[in-house]
Amino acid sequence: MTPRLETRDLALGYEGEVFARGICLSVAPAEIVAILGPSGSGKSTLLGTVAGVVPGMGGTVLVDGRDVTNLPIHRRGVGLIFQQPLLFPHLTVRDNVAYGLRRQGVARDEARRRADELLDWVDLHGLGSRRTHELSGGQAQRVALARALAPRPSVLLLDEPFSALDAELRRRLATDVATMLRAHDVAAVHVTHDRAEAESVADRVLRLDELFG
Amino acid sequence: MTTPRWLPWVWLLPAAFLAAFLAYPLVHLATTIASGSGGFALTRLASPALWQVAALATVQALLSTLLALVAGLPIANVVSRYRFRGRALAQALVTVPFVLPTVVVALAFRSLFGSGLPQGFLLVVLAHAYVNLAVVVRIVGAQWSQHDPNLENVARTLGATRWQAFTDVTLPSLRPSIASSAAVVFVFSFTSLGIVLLVGDSATRTLEVQILRQTSVLLDFPGAAASALVQLVIVTIVLLAGAVATRRSPTRVMAPPALRPVPERGLGRAAVYATVMFAGVIVLAPVAALIAASFRTSSGLALSWWSSLGSVDAGTTRLGSPAAALATSFGFALLTALIAGVVGGLAAVAVLAPGRARLVSVLAIVPLGVSAATLGLGLLLAYGRPPTDLRDSVLLVPIAHSLVAVPLVVAVVAPALRGTDNRLGVVAASLGARPTRAFLTTYGSVLRVVMLASAALAGAVSLGEFGAASFLTRTGSPTVPVQIVRLLGRPGEQSAGVAAALAVILVALTLAVVLIVDRIGRSELGTAS
Repeated sequence: MTPRLETRDLALGYEGEVFARGICLSVAPAEIVAILGPSGSGKSTLLGTVAGVVPGMGGTVLVDGRDVTNLPIHRRGVGLIFQQPLLFPHLTVRDNVAYGLRRQGVARDEARRRADELLDWVDLHGLGSRRTHELSGGQAQRVALARALAPRPSVLLLDEPFSALDAELRRRLATDVATMLRAHDVAAVHVTHDRAEAESVADRVLRLDELFG
Repeated sequence: MTTPRWLPWVWLLPAAFLAAFLAYPLVHLATTIASGSGGFALTRLASPALWQVAALATVQALLSTLLALVAGLPIANVVSRYRFRGRALAQALVTVPFVLPTVVVALAFRSLFGSGLPQGFLLVVLAHAYVNLAVVVRIVGAQWSQHDPNLENVARTLGATRWQAFTDVTLPSLRPSIASSAAVVFVFSFTSLGIVLLVGDSATRTLEVQILRQTSVLLDFPGAAASALVQLVIVTIVLLAGAVATRRSPTRVMAPPALRPVPERGLGRAAVYATVMFAGVIVLAPVAALIAASFRTSSGLALSWWSSLGSVDAGTTRLGSPAAALATSFGFALLTALIAGVVGGLAAVAVLAPGRARLVSVLAIVPLGVSAATLGLGLLLAYGRPPTDLRDSVLLVPIAHSLVAVPLVVAVVAPALRGTDNRLGVVAASLGARPTRAFLTTYGSVLRVVMLASAALAGAVSLGEFGAASFLTRTGSPTVPVQIVRLLGRPGEQSAGVAAALAVILVALTLAVVLIVDRIGRSELGTAS
């Protein structure tokens, strides 16, 4: 079966300096892989390089078997969730979720209808017309999840998505997210420095230094 | 800390100054107009000529604003978000056009284009965009540096192209700063005087130019009052609209993201450096052209304009020598620094006073809203003829310049005082210091620094001010900007050459003051706070 995401001999770098080489990672359909590593170890750079946000330093990225290494960010089919929800402040919650659908050419009303469905699904029923600054931290991160899933990316990358939340909320949201990802059959790479979080979310837990060749 | 006994009374002097030199002349102006034989000003509002000028000035200001935004946004992006060698220099460079006297900018643009293509209306628009580049770069840049680049990255992963990410995400979050800078640029361009007089053709006018013409050439005071009224209304509407757009911003300020490195290679890298070069060229080209003009004679490059600065007949019969104008301007600048420093300083200290005394620090901002020509005219009518003829006393111009500079002094000093930790004074008081001693322990060092800096700025304002001075200087002893304008009104290459030399001196003086102020501010305030 073709992996959803595969990296071959990927090199990571920051400002032109390569700090890791030979990264080979493979994520099967509907599989959730957690990558553990202390902060500053290059987890975000790995996700950024896969998504195309950070310039690549060599190696190949394949999404659904297709080489995307030289494709721009918006054509890679990769979703990305950051530590901060980074909701677009000038849009309503509903239009945030509908954004990716609109970019795919879905008509406004249809995009909004599907956004509302996704909001129901992340337990935010009826909050569609809220402004983003009216949400709590946990609600905002749920919206970010719905927004990232809306355009149906091949693989979703989560960069420490819960670390800005308090411990109790973090545990609850981690379990919820894992359930949601499985229900949607989404392959995901979840990086974190928290082993308990990694184990509660993932099918497979890897240490970042194990990936470096 | 017990407050010093004099603190509740610091408002007295600034209030008296504003009453005597702002409120009284304006009231005097209004009653003169109302009782004049030319008829009440309101009936003049029906004049089609007035609305024609207003419409033309509106179009001109809109185009100037648009051009300043188009040129300023890429520069704001580069200098506020990328880390590269020479970034601080680039930032300082962009500020230069804004601090140059308008008369100097006008002359620089005339020197740059000569009899070349952009003339009249178009050249006015170019010059206004040039002056206001810093407004866009500073205001929008401040917000852009707070903008998390990952917001665009999120949009990109959701399927947006680079351009869509910019228009969908970046532009909307910059909207408040774009709106407020656009409002400021519009108002500056709409009320511009020196630039329009010097580079505009006879068809290109602002209401400010109209006011000057109506009062000094046509002696049509009701007409001038009507022009001033229309200008005031339009300016107020635009500033209010800018303020409303600024308030509607749900963006939360987080810690600003770090400056990012310039892209390694490719188009991105080229774009960043091209933008920096572009900024450098457009800022420096007019100044370079001005310097060149001060050396250019019909028989090649020479120092003749510079060497004739001291002579009375340097194309300036009846005007006095250019050197004398420099001496006059310098004297006025010193007096302005003193008056504006004391008046503005006391008005700023009033923010620390209890109760209503604080009001004076707000009132001191009012002169900003009154046009320079209106200020000049009001002072001339109130104090320029018997029984109170101050024109021979050398004080009238510095007083007018102080009115222009006081808001600036308050804007610099008041926030510094408000931001000072007053626990030092509490400690001093607990050690037995009297209230005044404790006050000085707390605020003394900050006051010394910001007063020095703001007084120097007031001096720089005076050096370059043209609008009010054009009403108030006597024929025989003009200030440098007035002298430049008069020289340019005469034929002959000597007049133009000497004007260019004088303008170069103004550039040097203004830049020196701004650099010194910047140095003082950076070194001393850094340690004081």
